[in-house]
Amino acid sequence: MTLKWLSVAGALGTRIGKMLLVVVLIAIFNFMLVRAAPGDPALVIAGQSGATDEAFIARVRAEYGLDKPMTTQLGTYLGKLVTLDLGFSYRQQRPVLDVILERLPATLLLTLTAFVISLAGGIVLGSLAGVRAGTLSDTLITLLSLVVYATPVFWMGLMLVLLFSVQLGWLPAFGYGTVGTNLTGMAALLDKAKYLVLPAITLGMLYLAIYARLMRSSVIEVSHQDYVKTARAKGASESRILWRHMLRNALLPVVTMAGVQAGTLIGGSVVIETVFAWPGLGRLTYEAVLQRDYQVMLGVFLVLSVLVILFNWITDLVYRLVDPRIKAA
Amino acid sequence: MKKREFHKFLLAASAMGLVEIPLGITKAHGQTRGGTLNSILQPEPPMLNIAVNQQTPTQTVSSKMFLGLLTYSFDLKPMPSLAKSWTVSPDGLTYTFNLEPEAKWHDGKPLTSEDVLYTVNEFLPLTHPRAKAVFGHCESITAPDAHTVVFKLKAPFGPFMGAFDVSNLPVMPKHVYAGTDIIKNPANLKPIGSGPYKLKEWVRGSHIHLVRNEDYFKKGKPYLDAVIYRIVPDGASRALALENGTVQMTQWTDLELFDAQRLSKSANLAMTTKGYEYFAPIMWLELNNRVKPLDDKRFRQAIMHAIDRNFIKDKILYGFGKVATGPINSKTKFYEPNVKKYDFSLAKANALLDEMGLKADSAGVRTKLRLLVSPYGEMPARACEYVRQCLSKVGIALTLETSDPGGWAQRVANWDYDITLSWLYQFGDPALGVTRNYVSTNIRKLLFTNTGGYNNPEVDRLAIAAENETTDAKRQPLYSQMQKILVEDVPIAWLCEMEFPTIYDKRIQDLVTTSIGIHESFDAVYFKG
Amino acid sequence: MTAIVRSFLRHPSGMLGLVILLLVVALALAAPLLYPGNPWDTVAAPFTPPRTDGMLLGSDSLGRDIAAGIAHGTRVSLMIGVVSTLVALLIGVVVGALSGYLGGRIGELLMRFTELFQTIPAFLLAILLVAILTPSIRTIVIAIAVVSWPQVARLTRGEFLALKEREFVQAARCQGESALALIVRHILPNALSPIIVTGSLAIATAILIESALSFMGLGDPNLMSWGFMIGAARTMIRTAWWMSVFPGVAILLTVLAINLVGEGLNDVLNPRISRQ
Repeated sequence: MTLKWLSVAGALGTRIGKMLLVVVLIAIFNFMLVRAAPGDPALVIAGQSGATDEAFIARVRAEYGLDKPMTTQLGTYLGKLVTLDLGFSYRQQRPVLDVILERLPATLLLTLTAFVISLAGGIVLGSLAGVRAGTLSDTLITLLSLVVYATPVFWMGLMLVLLFSVQLGWLPAFGYGTVGTNLTGMAALLDKAKYLVLPAITLGMLYLAIYARLMRSSVIEVSHQDYVKTARAKGASESRILWRHMLRNALLPVVTMAGVQAGTLIGGSVVIETVFAWPGLGRLTYEAVLQRDYQVMLGVFLVLSVLVILFNWITDLVYRLVDPRIKAA
Repeated sequence: MKKREFHKFLLAASAMGLVEIPLGITKAHGQTRGGTLNSILQPEPPMLNIAVNQQTPTQTVSSKMFLGLLTYSFDLKPMPSLAKSWTVSPDGLTYTFNLEPEAKWHDGKPLTSEDVLYTVNEFLPLTHPRAKAVFGHCESITAPDAHTVVFKLKAPFGPFMGAFDVSNLPVMPKHVYAGTDIIKNPANLKPIGSGPYKLKEWVRGSHIHLVRNEDYFKKGKPYLDAVIYRIVPDGASRALALENGTVQMTQWTDLELFDAQRLSKSANLAMTTKGYEYFAPIMWLELNNRVKPLDDKRFRQAIMHAIDRNFIKDKILYGFGKVATGPINSKTKFYEPNVKKYDFSLAKANALLDEMGLKADSAGVRTKLRLLVSPYGEMPARACEYVRQCLSKVGIALTLETSDPGGWAQRVANWDYDITLSWLYQFGDPALGVTRNYVSTNIRKLLFTNTGGYNNPEVDRLAIAAENETTDAKRQPLYSQMQKILVEDVPIAWLCEMEFPTIYDKRIQDLVTTSIGIHESFDAVYFKG
Repeated sequence: MTAIVRSFLRHPSGMLGLVILLLVVALALAAPLLYPGNPWDTVAAPFTPPRTDGMLLGSDSLGRDIAAGIAHGTRVSLMIGVVSTLVALLIGVVVGALSGYLGGRIGELLMRFTELFQTIPAFLLAILLVAILTPSIRTIVIAIAVVSWPQVARLTRGEFLALKEREFVQAARCQGESALALIVRHILPNALSPIIVTGSLAIATAILIESALSFMGLGDPNLMSWGFMIGAARTMIRTAWWMSVFPGVAILLTVLAINLVGEGLNDVLNPRISRQ
């Protein structure tokens, strides 16, 4: 018994160790990449009046450590990372960690909602299509999936805005809550929910299509397996078969795919957040890149990469839980 | 009825006075006391102290909490602010300002000449390059008593009187900043000023809430209870916020220009383009005079003829502008309208290029150049695309290059460009905001200088002479002469004077009364009941 | 070979995709004939609605012909899609082949290196690369290739790992063939099918990435691309819907067509017994 726990702990330790190593490598990689950018942040900070004064610019450089050699800057950066100090933002005049924490909830809200929509919708529609393979509903779902998969995400967002906001007036077009109101509690949540609908659906649709198609082919494949045929022959009801035997097995590829898609989901949030003026990390990255706010860029890249790593790990765990073969061992 | 129709109905009804969008105002004396003014602020400023950061949104908010010594009327004449009166010696070398005796800081301490001295002598030279340059002309700055400040110039300096507003000389509290690290002082985020409003709270990404300063030295003022600046990242949402009354005003480039054009016609909104005379930028094409064939005057003149600047004014600036005639904006002092005119004429442009001997190849291209796009939004992008098409019609093939602000700044500062689009504030006086782009002494590897490399000794001479005269009558002919020369030489291809719409709820009174417009302290703004 | 072609011709969705794709290619080739002149030129009053004043699909904020923009944009999209995918295939196949063939520590290391690239969200990396290298058609191709090669590498490695143990490869090795000959002449041709399928689907993804980059303002400012057109239309969606609708339809049809062809190829090249 103790041996088993020790081996689990050992495996866990190795896994975490590997993850940390990857994080450090990513941090260094990010740093090199971001610093390879031409362009002078000191000039941007100095602005219209400051950029005309050499002494002023020199002071700005010293202020932000921009005048030190690259290796020193890298060392300082890595050292600060250990203490979770992600640096200081030029543009916003405050710690990067504060900036990121401020924007993180919006992105989490958006991506998690989109993820749930896509997974739930994808599994349901995919199962439906798979079980009713060859019928009209199957054809419709497959066709829709194909079209959605081919649609650029930002354009779909604009089309949904055009329909639901401009034409019908049901939902607000852009933003993160009604401007100028100081709502709290339930009212605030409901208000935010109104603004969440279009961006979450837009972001989730693409993955819904992917999971639906995957689920469909997975269900079809599983339905031809021997044990399912046996269960059918034994007279078990169709829904029982579906739930107990097919779903668990059919889910595996979908779960794997969900893990793989984590990175693209976060990447997709950049575009969605831009289209819908949703103040999350994706939009922050884009702004930081354009403003050459190096510290913010590095911070966000690192945080997002860590999120992807964590997500992959969780997917791995879920996979082990769901896979009946592993459980039996 | 549909939601949008309901909104329109509401707006129409309120315009007719049938539905009151409550403001919380009460009547007292002539002006109504009370009410909260909601405005857009775009983009969010990095901090709230104008002495440390001179970006436009910082100025917009800061100017409600800090004051300068003077302000300027629409025709750029000095008016009192913290200085209630002033005298200039006949030789133009000594400027004496008498400060308001009742002026106080938000923490209750009195504002004295010591604060002014500290600001000009110690604070601004570290953080405000423009102020540093202007007050560097002073031989001494002294305070004979607690409410008098005397500036003594080394030599006559014509524009000096135009450099005392809140954006040039925001008076800082000595007792808060002296002996501290000015940049990192927490007062930059929680300002202690002397203006009619104090900071209540700043919720990042949402709003900046200013409240009435009960101890403001002008009794009875300010009339408003509060001013709230709302931060809304998206242009369409900002337009919507103004439309449905969530905010009662927008300024500068808060609204996309075509939205501004549309909303200016609303029944309950008023629009003015006044209040920017002090800034009065001109959008232009900065030409690197070192690069062939930009080194030839005829080529530069051809560029002026080849671009349909009326189209730019109408379709890209949506009417918010005026075709520029030269380097000085028509609102700035010493503007000279009688200069050479460059009408839109492809024939004239082609003639000049033919005269130069620039032959077109088989594809009709005479020469290839790069156009570095200004990275500040959609409008400059469209303008650059349009300029490229215009010049392609006379055989000048432009390749556009996009960049981010840091990259653009570095390239322009290092003269690594052929042509780029830009605009700069003129600060009411050619000596403060115009000549810096044309005098050879300002050819440096820095932004907003004479990056094009234009060198004309006559222009240099006129600039120095005009700067050293103290009366307008003596300065005008010098600047007129300078404009005539510059318009003939075209070192920079001036496109359009830029105008900015301030759109506001009709019930707001006395919003824009000076040449710095919405950068005033708003102590006299009120809602009509 | 002919058997494959014949199978494809009988594949309904694949053929549909192929037909649409051929139409798109035809439009790309015919663009200068249908819409001579420069799509950037102002040819009408700004914001002309569709089917007015000779503007089939309307005009944009500067009076530029939307239809001309879409036609000329076809060339941009197809070119960027194909070139960036070819580069991605080149890098991915080389890395994957080496990793799969060599195996062991080096193979593992190459795989870790590949995974590193996959941990950073692809689109963010693309934005960073294009912004750093300043937007132009060259940098966009590089950025797309950089974010696309890892999946090709993983696929190739998987194929190579499986194939190198097969008898015909062992036989060739016994006959003294060099490693390079083994890879190029024996393994690679048998690994081609999934690589081709991945490659064709990657073209569609490349077009989507390019349009997203252009939408965000990181496109080549001298190329009228569909993504750019939608980006320029965003703020005007209330007043000029046609500016954003039509270029998006163009992207949708092209990507859909490529996906259908790719999946058709997959069905034909990798038939599976239990497929529906």
